[in-house]
Amino acid sequence: MFKDIVIFSSIVMISFVSTNVKGQIASSGWKEEDRIYSKVFDAPLSGKQLRKGTTLYQVTSQKPTVLALIFTRCTGVCNPFLLELKENIELRTNEKNFNILVMSFDPRDTEKDLDDLAMRFGLSEDKRWEFAVTDSIRSLVQSIGFKPVWDSLRQQYDHDALLIGINSEGYITKKLIGIRNNADLGLLLASIQDSFTPTYRMANPNMLFSCFNYDAKTGKNTPGLGLIFVALPALIAMVIVLSVNFFVRVNRI
Amino acid sequence: MQQSILMLFLGLLAISTIVFTYVYQSSQKATDLDRGMANPLKSRFWFLLILFVILGIFASVTIPKSPYYFYADETPSRVVHVAAKQFAFVLSNNAIDPKNPVGENAIELLENELVEFRVTSFDVNHGFAIYNKAGQLIAQTQAMPGYVNKLRWKFSEPGAYSILCLEYCGMAHQIMRSSFTVK
Amino acid sequence: METLKLRKITSVWIIIVLTLFVVAIVLGILMRLNQGEIIQQSPITFYGNMTTHGLTMIGIWFVAGMAAVNYLLERYVKTSYAANLFALVLTVIGVLMLWCSTFIGEFHAGWTFLYPLPFKIMWAEWATPLFLSSLGVLGLGWLVWSISLMAQILKKYSISQAFAWQHFHKNPKVETPPFILITMITLIGVIACLIAAVILLILFFIEYFSTGSFVNDALLMKNLTYFFGHTIANEMLYLGLAVIYELFAEVSGRPKWHTTWYVALAWNLSLIFILTAFFHHLYMDFVQPEGLQIIGQIASYLASLPAAGVTVFSILVAVYRNKINWSLTNLLFFIGVAGWVIGGLGAVIDATISNNFILHNTLWVPAHFHTYNAMGNVLFSLAFFHWFSNQYYHHKERQNTLKLSILLIGGAGFLLAFYIGGAESIPRRYSTYPSDLPMGATLASIAALFASLYLIAILIFFFNISKKCLKILSSSPQSS
Ligand code: HEM
Ligand SMILES: [Cu+2]
Repeated sequence: MFKDIVIFSSIVMISFVSTNVKGQIASSGWKEEDRIYSKVFDAPLSGKQLRKGTTLYQVTSQKPTVLALIFTRCTGVCNPFLLELKENIELRTNEKNFNILVMSFDPRDTEKDLDDLAMRFGLSEDKRWEFAVTDSIRSLVQSIGFKPVWDSLRQQYDHDALLIGINSEGYITKKLIGIRNNADLGLLLASIQDSFTPTYRMANPNMLFSCFNYDAKTGKNTPGLGLIFVALPALIAMVIVLSVNFFVRVNRI
Repeated sequence: MQQSILMLFLGLLAISTIVFTYVYQSSQKATDLDRGMANPLKSRFWFLLILFVILGIFASVTIPKSPYYFYADETPSRVVHVAAKQFAFVLSNNAIDPKNPVGENAIELLENELVEFRVTSFDVNHGFAIYNKAGQLIAQTQAMPGYVNKLRWKFSEPGAYSILCLEYCGMAHQIMRSSFTVK
Repeated sequence: METLKLRKITSVWIIIVLTLFVVAIVLGILMRLNQGEIIQQSPITFYGNMTTHGLTMIGIWFVAGMAAVNYLLERYVKTSYAANLFALVLTVIGVLMLWCSTFIGEFHAGWTFLYPLPFKIMWAEWATPLFLSSLGVLGLGWLVWSISLMAQILKKYSISQAFAWQHFHKNPKVETPPFILITMITLIGVIACLIAAVILLILFFIEYFSTGSFVNDALLMKNLTYFFGHTIANEMLYLGLAVIYELFAEVSGRPKWHTTWYVALAWNLSLIFILTAFFHHLYMDFVQPEGLQIIGQIASYLASLPAAGVTVFSILVAVYRNKINWSLTNLLFFIGVAGWVIGGLGAVIDATISNNFILHNTLWVPAHFHTYNAMGNVLFSLAFFHWFSNQYYHHKERQNTLKLSILLIGGAGFLLAFYIGGAESIPRRYSTYPSDLPMGATLASIAALFASLYLIAILIFFFNISKKCLKILSSSPQSS
């Protein structure tokens, strides 16, 4: 019976929390807060799967959209970034209610370049994915607050790997900077479906003792060490009761 | 809202006082022949059951009204970023850089538009509480370092609103405040 | 049986508690006077006094409950004088350290010292480690004391008997006295919250000594802070209840209370609720997972059921239409239970998330916890003090009505000002109120007046009780 109480209380604490951790996920800080809930620029798009004259709003109004900004000549983050995104999306085969729009912010990129990119990633046939360029890229990146810097020495753009969540009304609902795990992507997808989470965690120099961690490998949220710390006093108290009980009995005999 | 809470409390206060006084007086009047309550176990059972039901109803009515669910299925038309620092608030239409926290001089919101306050702190815990013209607390959330709390709210009345710090943050806590207007 | 040593140390506890109480009330009145703009203190002085007042009050009423429980426990088991003395010495040292850090070092982060405020030095550098160490010293003394009392119980009763589990079956062979059951349950809660304090202090000190390489998580620290702070404030009330279960019937000339299945069940459940109710302190931290918020509300609601359905109801049943030998002791118990109920109502209202949204950190919070402390737990302990000292030096009780009336009127006025302030959205922990909340200062002045009445009543109790306790201290074995 006593054991049951211990087990029961720890299960209650942990299970309730692990089902409710939507909100507590690391992010790379305040930059992701920029331009939240502002409208993206309604850029005209051209891409192989798109009808001529399609604009960004026409895409988003059909389905909420995850926008990834890359350039095809990138020797840095763009490729691993897209790969990770592709793998994470593949884990979500059942979720169809969103588009992923990959766009180049490099004016040199053509429709053809992006088409090739789609082929390379084996995504040209996938209905959920679109690859496109636009002739108004400056207005688009400006409306997003994305600031690539041209580095003429390396002949490369210095830029963040950026995912932008856009809901069906064309509002930016969330951003993710950097290569991120599936759980973070899940938050982004929830936000473009207009499902509200009242909070999120910012990057912290010491995550060890935070109440909620995520496991980068499985992409799942697990109750962090911190949460165990919250339950710890109760558990230690139980241990003390049991050991005191043990010692008084041993000593008596 | 606060007034009805106070009334509810005063009502309950009156009831408890009457019960205790009544019970006390019944004992003063009691003689050696009195045997107390007729069937205490049964009344105890009923008392508990009624209490349980009342609390159950109360919980199921109030929990869905918790601020975590406010306007959850709408897109805010306005975002206000809030960063609290000993002993001031920075309010901005744009994200606030901790290294260079600058905000707007004046924030103006529109009547009945959905505003999302994204509240954080750059040092210690602070509170972010919105007071209306009449000095009534209408909404609040905490400002915690390392976290962003999102408070969604629609202002139904135009006017000047104040923001007060409601988490003790040090010696100038009582003067830590800011304001905005709703048109 | 109780020894002379125990009697003397209990008297020492009583004198210390009452003396510190008077000082802490004076600090409280000074705070109200400052908020009422009748006196002008610097904010640093105000917040320093607030920190001292808060922690001193929590400390003294906790040890008052412990001392009473220890004294009465001697009726059932042999308690350890050494542990009692150890706690006494560490309490005195701890309080002196605390006062040094606040009065001399001007430490003023509040008694809940929410991380990372203690590290934002606005006072003498040494005051932060001294304050944290003072908590460590108090915590250590109390932990040893609690574990020692628990060990003595477990020597006589098996674990399942201490929890009164045999009462879940029909016709149990042995009865666990209610006093033992409640003491046991309460001690476990006390130990848990003291452990939370230890973990909290360790995390504070790791960061303190790591000079920047280790940073704590604010959310975790807040959870631990209230695990400690809320739970100890709650458990000290339960210590008072244990005393009531033991003494109320006895001083009233009524049959002793017995443990029944529902008493056993209620107290066992209380343990679970009390260890999860502290989540209600984090309602406005939307970062806390929603599941915990809802546990917070439900646990807070449920915690009131065993309290109301068993303890309060039992008191009412015991009194209702029964002839009772009313004396100051059981009157104080009875009024204290009423105060506890009323404060509890205020607490349940505030523990509702949607109400907390507009009450959190307003004066509603000190309103409700002062109700079940100043008009609940304090009266339980005063009742015990009075009963204890009267056992040896009985004086005829005079002017009970007058004493109680001053106490009640003073307390009620003081508390009502807090409640109205809460409903007027006046923030708590403001040294002075902004000009757009003019009610704040008015209410504070009125409160100061009523609190002074309360102080007068307490001073009368203080003199009557201390006089007898001093006699106990100077008594020799023969004279008793
Ligand atoms: C007549 C007696 C008392 C007076 C005049 C008094 C006065 C006050 C005042 C003015 C405050 C500050 C309120 C604010 O936040 O603005 C306060 C806070 C507090 N009081 Fe009392 N009080 C009294 C009795 C008690 C008792 C019996 C306890 C027992 C536990 C207690 C515990 C506390 C605590 C824990 C705080 C919170 C301190 C903080 O916010 O850090 N008080 N009191
Ligand atoms: Cu503040």
